[in-house]
Amino acid sequence: MSGTVPKKRLKDLSFWQKIYVPEIIKGLSQTLKQMFQPSFTMEYPEVKFDPPASYRGRPVLVQEENGIERCVACGLCSRVCPALAIEVQAGETEREKERYPEKFEINMLRCIFCGLCEEVCPEEAIVMSKDYEIVFTNRADALYGKDKLLTPIAKLQDRINFLRQYKG
Amino acid sequence: MNDFLFYIIVALVKIVIIANMILITVSYLVYFERKISAWTQNRVGPNRVGYLGLLQPFADVLKLLLKEDIVPKVANKFIHSMAPFIALFVAFTTYAVIPFGPSITLWGKEIPLMMADVNIGILYVLALTSIGVYAITFAGWSSGSKYSLLGGIRSSAQMISYEISMGFSIAGVLIFSQSLRPMEIVIAQHGWMWNAVLQPVGFLTFVVAAFAETNRLPFDLPEAEPELVGGYHTEYSSMKFAAFFLAEYANMIIGSAMIVTLYLGGWQFPYVETFGFSPAVTIGLQVGAFFVKMGALLFFFIWVRWSIPRFRYDQLMNIGWKVMFPLSLLNLIWAAILAMIMK
Amino acid sequence: MPKFTLNGKEVQFTEGQTIIQAAANAGVDIPHFCWHPSLSVSGNCRVCMVEVERIPKLVIACSTIAAEGMVVNTRSEKTLAARNAVMEFLLINHPLDCPICDEAGECKLQDYAYKYSAGESRFTEEKNNKKKRVALGPAVMFDGERCISCSRCIRFCDEIAGKNQLTLVKRGDRVTITTFPGKELDNPYSLNVTDICPVGALTNRDFRFNSRVWDMSSTKTICSGCSRGCNTDVWVRSNEILRITPRSNPDVNNFWMCDEGRLKTFRNVNAEDRVSGPQVRREGKLQKVTWDEAYSAAGELKSYTKEDIAFIGSPEATVEDNYLLVKFAKSVFGIKHLSMLDHSVTGSGDEILIREDKSPNAVGAKMAGIASENDELDFAGILNGIKNGKIRALYILEDSKLSEYPQLIELLSKLDFLVVHAVNYSPLTKYANIVFPAASYTEKNGVWVNFQGRAQRIRPAITTHETDRSIDGMSMSRLDKFGTKFDSWGNVNKVEARPSWKIIAGLMTIFGHKQKFSMAEEVFREMSDIIPAFKGENYDKIGESGAFIAGKPTAI
Repeated sequence: MSGTVPKKRLKDLSFWQKIYVPEIIKGLSQTLKQMFQPSFTMEYPEVKFDPPASYRGRPVLVQEENGIERCVACGLCSRVCPALAIEVQAGETEREKERYPEKFEINMLRCIFCGLCEEVCPEEAIVMSKDYEIVFTNRADALYGKDKLLTPIAKLQDRINFLRQYKG
Repeated sequence: MNDFLFYIIVALVKIVIIANMILITVSYLVYFERKISAWTQNRVGPNRVGYLGLLQPFADVLKLLLKEDIVPKVANKFIHSMAPFIALFVAFTTYAVIPFGPSITLWGKEIPLMMADVNIGILYVLALTSIGVYAITFAGWSSGSKYSLLGGIRSSAQMISYEISMGFSIAGVLIFSQSLRPMEIVIAQHGWMWNAVLQPVGFLTFVVAAFAETNRLPFDLPEAEPELVGGYHTEYSSMKFAAFFLAEYANMIIGSAMIVTLYLGGWQFPYVETFGFSPAVTIGLQVGAFFVKMGALLFFFIWVRWSIPRFRYDQLMNIGWKVMFPLSLLNLIWAAILAMIMK
Repeated sequence: MPKFTLNGKEVQFTEGQTIIQAAANAGVDIPHFCWHPSLSVSGNCRVCMVEVERIPKLVIACSTIAAEGMVVNTRSEKTLAARNAVMEFLLINHPLDCPICDEAGECKLQDYAYKYSAGESRFTEEKNNKKKRVALGPAVMFDGERCISCSRCIRFCDEIAGKNQLTLVKRGDRVTITTFPGKELDNPYSLNVTDICPVGALTNRDFRFNSRVWDMSSTKTICSGCSRGCNTDVWVRSNEILRITPRSNPDVNNFWMCDEGRLKTFRNVNAEDRVSGPQVRREGKLQKVTWDEAYSAAGELKSYTKEDIAFIGSPEATVEDNYLLVKFAKSVFGIKHLSMLDHSVTGSGDEILIREDKSPNAVGAKMAGIASENDELDFAGILNGIKNGKIRALYILEDSKLSEYPQLIELLSKLDFLVVHAVNYSPLTKYANIVFPAASYTEKNGVWVNFQGRAQRIRPAITTHETDRSIDGMSMSRLDKFGTKFDSWGNVNKVEARPSWKIIAGLMTIFGHKQKFSMAEEVFREMSDIIPAFKGENYDKIGESGAFIAGKPTAI
């Protein structure tokens, strides 16, 4: 299947190629062969695609084992987002990291899944998950707040390892 | 019961059977088209509506029925609405002269297994398929859209070009049958004396012409989605579109039936008489043979569609005039010589 | 004038200038942390080192006096290497917490690290730990780790605020800034240290973590806190004022402003109790109506004459607003009772910036005709007139102090008819028959005249129902440019209000005196024709730094 076919002009063709019929038969036999190959289709609602670590699904916030988000609400994701999908409002806490996102909202109607937020994040706090099932029926539901974004770190380990390996 | 009434009843029964058969075949032809295309491309194809997706054709029809019928403002309304029904009319009436089995005898009366055993059957088919061009040309012209118009023009040019080689191929067949009556053409091909065997070149040119006449890939230039949006049926929607759709597939069935009748021995089952079955079984096998041959050809139509890309317009004309036409002429000469030798 | 060579070019300077000043005048920016044009030279950050020919070592540009014939190079290899080394030293212990630092985006250290640093650290030891989150005073938060010990804040308190409240303690890498034991950084100018701090060590507790600086728009305007009229920037995000910072104007406020002006002057603009939409009292209750309905309801004023109607102007409104009030009173009624409240609080001023007069425009309002010499009754006279029943109708421009003035409030029930322009609901609106929603000073264009007689422009920073950021040329942040009403940050809160001049202009139509103004600038143009003090002035001339329109400037 791979490899480039050198360009042929009419004068380069052999007699059998010129009369065309054998070539048609060749083509037909190829398609006939394919009819008996197994199909690649995943029958979606029953069978679900398990994406590789490099997959960029819905961006989510990493939640540490102690239940606290990593995010410090620096707003870099919001700044870098080419679609202006992210809104962050910082707040102050008594914890050692004095800053936390009081509000963290991703407008999934704006999000283009480019992954720049993940790339810019200094805290490895926002990563692209494997979730591709993003459904809502009105604009208000498309605003994903912290309740929907916070995801336990155990679920995201795959992606975090990938980022450390390939994106430094 | 007098003969007249009997034949009328028989004719009505045949009409109902054949018309329904066509409709159901068309439905499942669409289903198989989608399935086969899926298999060729390593996909699954329709499998949601009913078991294995078998109810898909009905869902399709329902969907088309519920669609809004849109007629362009600049369209010629009368011709625009008439065109799909011409197409449908031609597709259905052609079946009248296709023999799908030998004559049977019921209540002491001989009934041929075809709608009408016309003695100029082949001429009738040629005449009707020529009218089919009008449907497409009308549709293209009356839509008031440049895409449709181009599709219509392409269609008529293509039909004219390929009908010539088609006619010459058929002439080769007629030399052997000495008759325009389809039943006699079939009977003339007893045993292995199939025309496809006797005149393979004629068979080839006829099959190619049949593809071109039915506007199937690689000859679907009148539709040519990438260039003409939808060709002549760009401006059609709802049931009018469905009528064209139906006509296209019905034409495919006719094409197959004609090929079977003219070249593949029709309902003939080689040497079935020598097996010593009862007449009923023999006739059953013969009718079965007809449908098996036709089914194989329909599969071939679909198979070709998903294997071979569309011709360029100049290539189409080149093949029609510079290849198919001379080949069919040569075949005619060959048939004439062969007929003389065999005599 | 003496000359010296700077980067191969002859540059003029005045005697006694340091290299950094002379270079700045010539348009060459020499990096600096501890040097500040208004503070004494301390020379401790070392980042301004430059190469001077025939001086064997590099010198610091901030304390070296420029001399005739000197050859200075700010871009030589040696200079750049030294700068890079200084940056590396400064960054050794500076934490990498820009993500949580409010200064990020307007941080000198961040900028210089980009511009002059190699971007690498060879320091592998542990960074030192100091106290973070120390509240130095009611308004200022201190982060010891971020501090680069430039001592700007200490010098500010000593030299500008005049209170020795901060000092450096300990030595070496343990050095830190602190207040004296048991004392706080609580001088009335304390927040200026957050502006001059070149890093995020000193931050504004009120603004802390509120917004990233790049998400806000800033608008050049004037502080409304007192008659000094400090030049300020108003910072807005999603149509909400988040902070106010001083804007440099050597003739008015230099680089500074007081904490009160910075923290208090925008509260009423963001407040919940803003008046939105004109309202008319019907059956004892204020009801929201359309502008036209409110205007025709105000037509009832026609039944009063100049004897029984009084007008109260406002030193908080612009000169345009007051001018149109005067014009309205004069042309419709013939003027008789027209005055305004004096906002002065005796003993509240100081020698630095804060003035006793707490209104920004008392001088301008007078110039526009409020309390002109031919009125028979001053403000006290108007009160008397209401008391003895002579004055039965009152028309009041927006004035926050008026609603805190009990002598007036207790008389309001005696009035037959009261029209109030109001920014917020107040005791005045409780008695009002008609309330016109007035745009606050951050929502309109206009001119204020400060105590010096300097006319200064205020500009709209937030939008009302009737203004639009792009159409009206207001400053826009990225969010303003691309937000839609479907974004939670684009769906901003807007008040339905008009500047007072526009309200009065609309009202005058009812009285048969149609006005053709569509912009505050046109009102000012008419004033400049009529009022001698404004003669020859226009918005462009006033510009960003103001224009003197009366007498000589008084010293700061």
